[in-house]
Amino acid sequence: MFKTQKLVSFALLLVLVAVTLGPVAAQDKPVELVFWSMWNESEGQALVIQQWIDEFEAAHPNVTINAVWNGRQNQTLVRTALAGGTVIDIVDQDADQIAGGLMQEGFGLPLNAYLDMPALDEDVPLRDVFLPGTLELFAMDGETYLLPYIYNTVQFWYDKRVFEEVGIEVPLTWDEFLANNDKLREAGYAPIAAEGNEPGYSTFYLANMIARLKGPGFLLQTVEDHTGEMWRDPAYLESSRMLRELWDRGDIPAVTVGYVWPQGQNTLAFGQAAQSLVGSWLPIELSLQVDPGWVWGGFNFPAVEGGEGSVADTQALLLAFMIVKDTAHPDEAAEFLRFIMTKENQQLMADQALVGVTRIGVPWSEAITDAEEAAMNAESVFPDVDGVYARYPEFLTTVLWINYADLWQGKITPEEFSEHMATQSAEYWASQE
Amino acid sequence: MRISKQLIALFLLPASALYFFFFLVPTFSAFRYSLYDWRGFGTDMNFVGIQNYVELFSDRLFWLSMGNTVTILLAGGVIIFGLAFVMTMMISSGIRGRKLFRAIIFLPNVIAIIALTTLWGYIYTPQFGLLGAFLGKIGLTQWAAFPWLGPDTIFWSMLVAIIWIEVGFYLVLLLAGVDKIPEDFYEAARLDGASQFQMFRKITIPLLWDVLTIGMVLWSIHAIKIFEFPFSFTGLEPNVNSYTAAVYMYILGFGQRQPIYRLGYSTAIGVMLLLVVILVVLVLRRLMRREQLQY
Repeated sequence: MFKTQKLVSFALLLVLVAVTLGPVAAQDKPVELVFWSMWNESEGQALVIQQWIDEFEAAHPNVTINAVWNGRQNQTLVRTALAGGTVIDIVDQDADQIAGGLMQEGFGLPLNAYLDMPALDEDVPLRDVFLPGTLELFAMDGETYLLPYIYNTVQFWYDKRVFEEVGIEVPLTWDEFLANNDKLREAGYAPIAAEGNEPGYSTFYLANMIARLKGPGFLLQTVEDHTGEMWRDPAYLESSRMLRELWDRGDIPAVTVGYVWPQGQNTLAFGQAAQSLVGSWLPIELSLQVDPGWVWGGFNFPAVEGGEGSVADTQALLLAFMIVKDTAHPDEAAEFLRFIMTKENQQLMADQALVGVTRIGVPWSEAITDAEEAAMNAESVFPDVDGVYARYPEFLTTVLWINYADLWQGKITPEEFSEHMATQSAEYWASQE
Repeated sequence: MRISKQLIALFLLPASALYFFFFLVPTFSAFRYSLYDWRGFGTDMNFVGIQNYVELFSDRLFWLSMGNTVTILLAGGVIIFGLAFVMTMMISSGIRGRKLFRAIIFLPNVIAIIALTTLWGYIYTPQFGLLGAFLGKIGLTQWAAFPWLGPDTIFWSMLVAIIWIEVGFYLVLLLAGVDKIPEDFYEAARLDGASQFQMFRKITIPLLWDVLTIGMVLWSIHAIKIFEFPFSFTGLEPNVNSYTAAVYMYILGFGQRQPIYRLGYSTAIGVMLLLVVILVVLVLRRLMRREQLQY
């Protein structure tokens, strides 16, 4: 009996020691995470991420994060490296690009379980700290693979002083927008600065116009229609006519047809043009070119009368982290992502890199407060080219952009655009089967 | 002293090994990859045989980009060598500041391509670009705001810039060849009453023939795979009218902007380009074959 008691006591003691020392032993086990980034080392965003890494390592002495700053070619390099057996735990990239690449190929670690855990030092689940729609934008079959950390809105950007000078308000409808353009033209401004020969930028107009007419998601549905018949929907004819009208009225100067980035936006910076539909990175991009008194404003693409979409539907171009599913340290990698989503860390990115961030309640820099407002109040968000960029990039490049560029530049009529898209879509999908 | 074959083989081994591993193996691997439907992620490759090549024949963007490449090769080549010849004659005619002129014309070759594309972007910018300002100054105001980088003219604007960059390299090549021609030949010709044109046709051209052949082969290879300038000159998303075959291959295979990642198909384009290079070089060498002149 006594012997049994001694044995039980000894076993309990062992359990107690194990329970006490166990976490310490686990914590002490060194963990090395490898992070491949889309930033160049000297860029503001990279400096903030490096600061996050340094602070995370200080708080978790057993974890080391080795960052590799690859620049915008990151995903292509990751592709080759993973195929060659290189260990990579975390990557970041434009969310549209990574969703169409690594994520679509099944390299992403499912994050739902981690997003259901509490945010760091908070009582709410991590998923609840994100701005509306951002986590869901690239979710697949109910599972989240991307953790967005930078938020760009696509809006018309302008100098508020010009609107005051001309005596116009932010337009909420297309008619108000055209009326503003009349006044801007009369005041000697080119109403719209655009990159006329840059399909990526000019497609912002088509995606937003269709979103206003038929609601977000319609353009993607159209592309997915393998018969091509949806391109004959009257909405495409109407949107094409309305966009061409901007050229015909002189709202977009004819010379714009020869602008490639950054020539169009330069006309805004030089005070020749008044508004430009582009991402909220523009104020930072032009910060050295505009005069010191410039007051940035941004407004969403106007609503269209009778349209199914809302002026509060916002096109969001996000940048995201993804944990590679084969990582040996998923918990530590997820912990790092939880760490970067604290209010303080998101504020650091907003303040130092002057970009929009994805966490609720973090003020963005002064130049992009209108973007923050749009993100906060978005009724729905839609990605680049309504999701076509990520899901059907080849169709976008070889069919849509070519015909849309012809429409945008006045080489084909709106009727021809619908017809070309209908026939060439059907041909494209037939060639894929 | 006779060198044994074993010793020759030993000396050739390092270069042969490098050539084998860094050229032949990748080339044959590329041909293999071109037979697959493969995005380059992981090892999940779907063998499709020659399907990628069949698709190329009906791919209008491929043919458009090949057309642009051939235009750069032929039109660009004729202009580059024409200008290089004219400049060679002018510079080697005994003018003062010969080295300075040569250095100035060669200068674009030592500047980073991205800087050159930015420079040419600003030259062509309507309204406040260098070209527009110049045309405005000389009274051609209707051309001052011409959209040089519009869809119908962007390719030709790009070609002018490429010619400006490349002509210096071939000028230096031809000048080096002209320098090797003994002055006695020209003096004898002058004594016989030969004109400048006759000297150019009867002395310079024949004695420069080998240099010219090498120059044309180099230009052909360069023009067929030209990528850097067209890709960075035409903005963030290159306009389709300015695609070269190499740019199209890159866009489809490397996902720099759009995550297309059709690596198998893109490799098929690469293989086609390699075949075109081989074909053009063979034809050129055949056409340029002449009896070798010793001097």
